[in-house]
Amino acid sequence: MKSSKAAFLLRLVLLILIASLVIPTTFSFSQEKGLEVAPGIPRSETLILEDPSGRSTNPGRFNLWGGGVSSWSTGLQQLALDALWYIDPDAGIEGKTWINSLAAEPPVYNKSFTKMTVKLRKGIYWSDGVEFTADDVVYTVKTLAAHPEMSWGAQMKVNVKDVSAPDKYTVVFDLTQPNSRFHTVFTVRWCGCYIMPKHIFEKQKDPVAFDFNPPVSLGPYVLKSYDSAGNWFLWERRQDWQRTTLGMYGMPAPKYVLYEAPGPAEKRVMAQLNHDLDVIHDIAPEGVVTLKKKNPTSVTWFDDFPWAHPDPTLPAVLLNHEKYPLNMKEVRWALTLAIDIVQVSLASYNGAATISAIEVPPTGHYLEWYFDPIQPWLEKFSIKVGGKAFYPYDSSIPSKIAEKAKNDLGYNVPTDPKEIKARLGYGWWKYAPDIAEKLLLSKGFKRDKNGKWLLPDGKPWKITILSEAEARPTMARAAATIAEQWRKFGIDAVHEPTDQVWTRTSYGDYDASLIWNVETWGGHPDLFWFLESWHSQYYRPSGQPIVAKNHMRWKNKRLDSIIDQLRRRSFDDPKCIDLGLEFIKLCVEEMPTIPLMSYNVFTVCDEYYWTGFPTAKDPYTDPVPNWANSKYMFVKIKPVKR
Amino acid sequence: MKNPFIIYIIQRILQCIVVIFIGTTVTFVIPRLVPSTNPVETAIARAQMMGQYTDPKAVDEMRRVLKKLYGLEGTTFQQYIRYWGSVLRGDFGPSFSSFPTPVMTLIRVSLSWTAGLLLLTTILSWIIGTLLGGLAGYFSEKPWARILEIFTNAIRPIPYYIMALLMLILFSYVLPLFPRGGAFAIGLTPTFSWQFIRSVIIHAFLPALSLIVVGIGGWFQNMRVLVSNVIREDYVVYAETLNISPQDILYKYVIRNAALPQLTGLALQLGMIFSGALITEVVFNYPGLGFLLYTGILRGDYSLIMGITFFSIVAIAVGALIIDLLYPLFDPRVRYT
Amino acid sequence: MFNIIKDLFKFDGRFRFSIITLLCIILFSLLSFWSPYDPSSSYYVPSNIPPSAKYLFGTNSRGQDIFWMMTFAIKNSLIFGIITALLSRILSIFVGLISGYKGGIIDKVLMSINDSFIVLPLLPILILLKFIIGRMELTTLALVMAVFGWSWDARLIRSQVLSLRERDFTYTSVFSGMGTLKITFKEYFPFIIPIVLATTVNNMLWSLGMEITLAILGLSTVEIPTIGTTIYWANQHQALISGIWWWLTFPVIISIFLFLALYLLSVSLSEYLDPRLRIQQARV
Repeated sequence: MKSSKAAFLLRLVLLILIASLVIPTTFSFSQEKGLEVAPGIPRSETLILEDPSGRSTNPGRFNLWGGGVSSWSTGLQQLALDALWYIDPDAGIEGKTWINSLAAEPPVYNKSFTKMTVKLRKGIYWSDGVEFTADDVVYTVKTLAAHPEMSWGAQMKVNVKDVSAPDKYTVVFDLTQPNSRFHTVFTVRWCGCYIMPKHIFEKQKDPVAFDFNPPVSLGPYVLKSYDSAGNWFLWERRQDWQRTTLGMYGMPAPKYVLYEAPGPAEKRVMAQLNHDLDVIHDIAPEGVVTLKKKNPTSVTWFDDFPWAHPDPTLPAVLLNHEKYPLNMKEVRWALTLAIDIVQVSLASYNGAATISAIEVPPTGHYLEWYFDPIQPWLEKFSIKVGGKAFYPYDSSIPSKIAEKAKNDLGYNVPTDPKEIKARLGYGWWKYAPDIAEKLLLSKGFKRDKNGKWLLPDGKPWKITILSEAEARPTMARAAATIAEQWRKFGIDAVHEPTDQVWTRTSYGDYDASLIWNVETWGGHPDLFWFLESWHSQYYRPSGQPIVAKNHMRWKNKRLDSIIDQLRRRSFDDPKCIDLGLEFIKLCVEEMPTIPLMSYNVFTVCDEYYWTGFPTAKDPYTDPVPNWANSKYMFVKIKPVKR
Repeated sequence: MKNPFIIYIIQRILQCIVVIFIGTTVTFVIPRLVPSTNPVETAIARAQMMGQYTDPKAVDEMRRVLKKLYGLEGTTFQQYIRYWGSVLRGDFGPSFSSFPTPVMTLIRVSLSWTAGLLLLTTILSWIIGTLLGGLAGYFSEKPWARILEIFTNAIRPIPYYIMALLMLILFSYVLPLFPRGGAFAIGLTPTFSWQFIRSVIIHAFLPALSLIVVGIGGWFQNMRVLVSNVIREDYVVYAETLNISPQDILYKYVIRNAALPQLTGLALQLGMIFSGALITEVVFNYPGLGFLLYTGILRGDYSLIMGITFFSIVAIAVGALIIDLLYPLFDPRVRYT
Repeated sequence: MFNIIKDLFKFDGRFRFSIITLLCIILFSLLSFWSPYDPSSSYYVPSNIPPSAKYLFGTNSRGQDIFWMMTFAIKNSLIFGIITALLSRILSIFVGLISGYKGGIIDKVLMSINDSFIVLPLLPILILLKFIIGRMELTTLALVMAVFGWSWDARLIRSQVLSLRERDFTYTSVFSGMGTLKITFKEYFPFIIPIVLATTVNNMLWSLGMEITLAILGLSTVEIPTIGTTIYWANQHQALISGIWWWLTFPVIISIFLFLALYLLSVSLSEYLDPRLRIQQARV
């Protein structure tokens, strides 16, 4: 029969397909599941964390001073390296945010801030048995200064005239100019200048090309193995963990630590549901809800809404002051009043955002240093509109957000006003498009017959708001909502998600950008981290990339004087907080950027194998796994008896 | 007496070189037209994003030094000449984003995984698609052929991303048969042990399956059309009247003739494996060139982009060349005058 | 003409199915002109409601009515696919026919240009072009895709023509004094049509697939609803893992029906247009 052979062939093909499905199945049933992470590595002794940088394109290179290391958070900066000081973004492991790590005490400056002396801790050893001494620090500084292309190299070259070690545990820096904050280079906020092992690097001809593989650790873990394709890194606890700075607090409980790049968000959720991933770095709020519903051992910073850990970073709408009409403060205020922050919070974070009306992030101790003192001033603040005073501040907005989150999304929101303030923020600017309209009209703007806004010169007003793309869904969602609200208000606004947002904003090739340039310590009130580069001496016009953090290209004499005063004061001077409050007031009046909220990270920890992760109830450190500060977590978590 | 075929070969090779040249030039120029992917700026931006407090004066210094190191001095034309010089010496230079690691080092690991997976899936889906397409085209009246047709065409419009994600959820989570990602199990090192090979097979299964399922559709479609053309040929009708068995007709006459244009497609597709399969790599965490290329683009890593695409361009051009030269061997009716 | 369509409709089941389906889909996308909602606005209905009487396709996490969003998405994706397919067909047929038949220098030059397009790595270039152009309208993207989409099929057509060229009927036509253009377009066309139709469907699938890939990477204008941007937003809100299956199911189902219909239409049309087949069917 004609068709019999053909049908037979077809059946053969189908059989092959089915067979190829079945045979690997029999393989996987015999695969080790859940008992071992890798051959010889028990699951119960391993902590598995997510490295959000994703797959390392260059996994065999660990020399992060030399650059070219695509991910620092593979465990390298958290477990293997160490720095002089750490400032904890939360409460600190012993309740103190300032932590002396490789240094035994805080830095000592001379009166004119041109000399800094550091006393080092004794009894710290590298993982190959060599003792850590001042020679390592001196070597690090000299090598970096000689190679400005290395990480922190340019900083050393510009700031350090000379560095020396009068004895084995003391380092003296001679600075090229007065700099009361030079020590911040060696202070870890997410990262900091780590110390290089002199005895390893001095043998190399080229400290930049050297791959430092395998790395010699100063921290309590050494590299056991890693994926040549860059997807995972496995670390093992040192036998002599007591001879490290972390060892002061006790033995780090996990014998093995695995950092991996787990892939799309769905996979992270699936992994934790299977108890294969202990610490998720970040997922969308929907993912958190799913996890908490299906996995009783999933733990978040706040045990309930809004769940997320607020990082000391302030996403805001940056406005380009060199693009007309954004150079006028009335226009910037009008744009602010045309934003309905309740809607933005719901769209981006499902309401789980901690909003901030002022130019500092609402995290850590900043609530008591800045937010509490400024509240009365904010309530009394008014802008003149059409001869009348308008009071834009509204402290009831966080409650409105909580209400909406409860009604629209069914979340279990806090009802205690103190809780709402701590979790959702203190307040924001009213949603007042009518006042915004009056502001614009007063500056010569007109509406055309369709209700769309025209600039005073008659051209239609177009704004493009940039944001990151699918890499940061919450920011993209916020930007889309803001663009929509501005459109409703009558501006021809468009949202453009692009992974190029940072470079474009740096070059001034933008109207508005939803990114962040205000980053603070969290555990220390000093604002210099970002503020110094806002001084007009660092101004760069559009077309040239900016220096550090002044993407708006905002120039203001009062701002300059605040910064000059800050420069003259030491890091711990309490008057710095007053200057900070003055800065906040100036920014409210001028609205150089539109602050939105703190960067909330939905870090979810699984207490199936390990317990004792930091939470809002016990905020001893930051659980966000790619921060070097998260190393303090390892001495406090304990294994679960299984 | 000059052999016309030799002349043809020389002309065809020249054409191939011209194509490679044009392709490389275009790929060289375009990234440099985009100001926002300037490698120096992205390097500095990444340094600042990592929370490094960079002194404003220090940033300027870094810019100056990086520009020199990356060899970005001079006009685009000068850079272009320098580029060809080093390529012809076999040196693709250092990657910018992973400076100073050479581009070849970065490519090497990803290349072996990409080549392994995509070679297998391309060839398998070609064979299965062409065979099934031939069968369905020849026996187009039969109900099972119709059903097959409809089935493959229903699968094709499903976006690959969704297909891959669904497979992952179904076969790795709902039915925990396969691992969630990666090229091999954690803790193993690449050796020729049975344990390692078995791990590679299990990890490659879902990505390969998703690629094959999606790939079959195209070949099936084309083959079916080609076959429906061929079966109306006189020689086929003649063979049928001679009562030669359908299997013989199918294999000796129909499929062999209809498959010729398919071969061209296969050669080109094989050349394209050097671009990797970005979505597969993202969904299944499979280490491959697609992801490397994508991050290279975002970081403005010109030398990495050029390194990967150069392979791709050469592979496709040479693939087309080989097929064109071999075509007369398969189809004697084709003559090049 | 109408008689032909009527006959096809009556006798060919595939034609019937595809015409009806295509008409339904086109009507569906025309509904977008009567949509009560602006496609770029969000949060105007309660979120995450499954399909019900009030919301036929349900609502998504952005508070949009999926039914009305789909009318726009299908319309945009359809227009996009058609523009790309049409433009690239014209280019590929022209180049393939001329190059295959003429041979010689013309063939070499055309094929060099053609192959230069084939070897260009498409995704990186698209991404980079997107960076340069910034806000890319859907029609601009369609034009770019058309420019890159003709080369593969031109080669296919060319190889078919190469086989045809050596056949007896070609020699007959040449000896009868037919000009090149007349031969290529009149004699070869019936052989080429099935391939052209098949490649049209292929091309539409390919260009839509590219649009989806770009959208997933966040590289297209995400406020314009297309099938790609629908997947982008569903991803942003983690629809699959949150159980909001209706967000993605409907675009996929509609796409499947659309392409099945296009495919069946192309098959039945090519069978009709092939004169030998018509004779065969007349036998029946």
